[in-house]
Amino acid sequence: MIYVLYVIVSVICVYTARHYWFTLNRLFGFQRHPYIDIDTADWPPVTVLVAAHNEEKVVANILSALMTVKYPEDKMLVIPVNDRSTDRTREIIDEFVERFPGRIRPFHRKEGKGGKAAALKDAMALVQTEVILIFDADYIPGAGLIRQLTAPFFDPEVGGVMGRVVPMNCGTNLLTRLLDLERSGGYQVDQQARMNLRLVPQHGGTVAGVRLSALHEIGGWNDTSLTEDTDLTYRLLLHGWKTVYQNRSECYEEVPETWPVRVKQIKRWAKGHNQAMVTYGLHLLLGRHRASLRERIDGTLLLGVYIMAPFTLLGWALALAVFYQGIAPLHGIVAILSVTAYAAIGNLAAFFEIAAAVRLDGSRKRVCLVPFLILGFAVSIFAVSWAAVSQVKDALTGAEFHWDKTERFRKAAS
Amino acid sequence: MNPILAVVGLMVLTSALLLLPLVPALTELQSKSDALPLNVIQQHTGEIRFFADGFRSYMRGLEPALRECVSSGGHATGAMPDGSEYLVLGRGEDALFLPFRERNEFQPVVIASATDLLLPSETNFSKDIYSAGSVIGGTKNRYRAILAEKDIRLGGESSVMRWVHAVGEFSADPSCRLYGRVSSDTGIRLSEGCSFLRLNAPYIAIGAQADPGQTPSPISANATTPQRLFHDGDFEILAGEVFLGNLVVRGRLRIGAGARVRGSVKSEKEMVLEPGASVEGSLISASVMQIGSDCRIHGPVIAERTAMLQRGTRCGTPQDPTTVSAPNIEVEPGVVVFGTLWAREQGQAVAGL
Repeated sequence: MIYVLYVIVSVICVYTARHYWFTLNRLFGFQRHPYIDIDTADWPPVTVLVAAHNEEKVVANILSALMTVKYPEDKMLVIPVNDRSTDRTREIIDEFVERFPGRIRPFHRKEGKGGKAAALKDAMALVQTEVILIFDADYIPGAGLIRQLTAPFFDPEVGGVMGRVVPMNCGTNLLTRLLDLERSGGYQVDQQARMNLRLVPQHGGTVAGVRLSALHEIGGWNDTSLTEDTDLTYRLLLHGWKTVYQNRSECYEEVPETWPVRVKQIKRWAKGHNQAMVTYGLHLLLGRHRASLRERIDGTLLLGVYIMAPFTLLGWALALAVFYQGIAPLHGIVAILSVTAYAAIGNLAAFFEIAAAVRLDGSRKRVCLVPFLILGFAVSIFAVSWAAVSQVKDALTGAEFHWDKTERFRKAAS
Repeated sequence: MNPILAVVGLMVLTSALLLLPLVPALTELQSKSDALPLNVIQQHTGEIRFFADGFRSYMRGLEPALRECVSSGGHATGAMPDGSEYLVLGRGEDALFLPFRERNEFQPVVIASATDLLLPSETNFSKDIYSAGSVIGGTKNRYRAILAEKDIRLGGESSVMRWVHAVGEFSADPSCRLYGRVSSDTGIRLSEGCSFLRLNAPYIAIGAQADPGQTPSPISANATTPQRLFHDGDFEILAGEVFLGNLVVRGRLRIGAGARVRGSVKSEKEMVLEPGASVEGSLISASVMQIGSDCRIHGPVIAERTAMLQRGTRCGTPQDPTTVSAPNIEVEPGVVVFGTLWAREQGQAVAGL
């Protein structure tokens, strides 16, 4: 029992060091933005896929925004992927098709497998361009975003591109404010540090792009995956394609405003991530492919982020059990020093990262909310652990994954 | 003391101590003083002419004064709605005779001219300058920003702190320092010794002998998607060879003299193009890039450290302008870039590399 605890604590320490490494790199290291200055070019034709499943509240906003972006009109085609919507989504899309002839080609999917990856897979029949950009329907791209997300594809090594998402409804309640902080940490520090350090920036599946030839090479969209973005990241990596992160390519999104919606969302993310871990983890770490050593290590750690929740819970349980059994781990002064050091530094690593991110964003007072993150952390650790347990149960019983769409909170555009 | 009261007191005190660190958080949660979404730029695209366009709109307020000064041939002074003082010249050459330095070493007035504006030497212009005609500046001047509806020519050793835009050609004499954005709707010509950060124009020519009008080699982007080739370690495309495809090299890359790449290339380490090499796609180096003389590059040129471009090299074409970008850029006389030349830290027109 004590040795299992040692292993868990060691792994937690690795993640702690990783948090600090990323944060210090963002604060003091060299920042890589190699493609952001490409503002003049013979821009390639692009297809913008907008994933929409019952999105009557938001789909008009993104289509309006896409019709005003600064990208050569004759080189950009928008394909709203209307995935079996039962609300007014189809009607709204068709209105836009009429208003902007030749610029929007709708894909109305009436049947088929559920989930974003399955819908995108079916929509690929309409895609003829080398560069594909993907947005969820609740995002609102700015005028320069299409060019910014397209620019990295001039690099022949780049297979995927990821931009930064910024919550637009962050002031709604405590949850949205906490999610705003988490997003800051995740993008401003985590993703950019991975970009700086040539590690594995993660494809997010929205505000993102993928190269058609790379997608063909890796076998297209994987409709058995719950998180097609994570799946895509690793398949690209294993085939020698880079995913790059553009921190300055920002786009507004809507974050969940209620805890049940948030719990459902993070459980799906956890299951999808764990699914990718099982599928690619071992091959990534030890297999023969083009990923560098640092990409192998970082990619493996990234795959493990959600499984750390049940491990942490197990660690707590083991620590209590060890205490009540009267076993003293690492006798003497070493134990005291270790516990003290971890309590002082280790527990704060993730919060330090988020506080640094908020500082980098130039925010002032929102950093005061960092202590409340413990609340979000507590909810997440149990939700993610429960997702892992149910995933194991599903695997044993042969139950299929179920796709849950994230509820929208915006009022429908008139 | 009543033991119940003591327990309650202890609990209250403990709760207060627990809550104390949360006071700033609770205050912010309640007051929402910093609860707006982060400011994401939605409406513009980092367009290089952004400030020039804004200044042109701002100058519309001076149109009546400009018309009046043209007809009278005199000049007028006053203040803009935001309080900035202005000086409007009916005849731009009058600026040469105005006693700038007697008034103040820095000229804290917006200067607007209805005709070609001739500016004296060794003067600091700390407010923006507008000319409906051309601007010809003296030597060793320091400018904040200039907008001209025709050409701009800066005298030697002058510097611009924020931006310049010329509808006509912009040219800078030797050893000018261009710290901000420089753009032109016609072309930019820099002399040796000039430093720059961000330049954009239909053509950017370095040195007097650079000829943007010279017909470039018939080189065009490959219409089909070329196959990608990976190579671990160093790689060389031999002189005169034609390489078909996109090439990714994990080591150093050398493209031999006169070789032609029908695709894009990327190297993780140093990249060297020998004289006369051409690339139909983009050229990307995660390190240093040295482009020899008379090379032709069609697509974007990106180096993550330094890009050196030797004489006669041409990037982009008049029909398909492109971007050359790196933290540090050194360019020799005779180089022509069609589009954008963007040095994040330091760009320099040098006599020889």
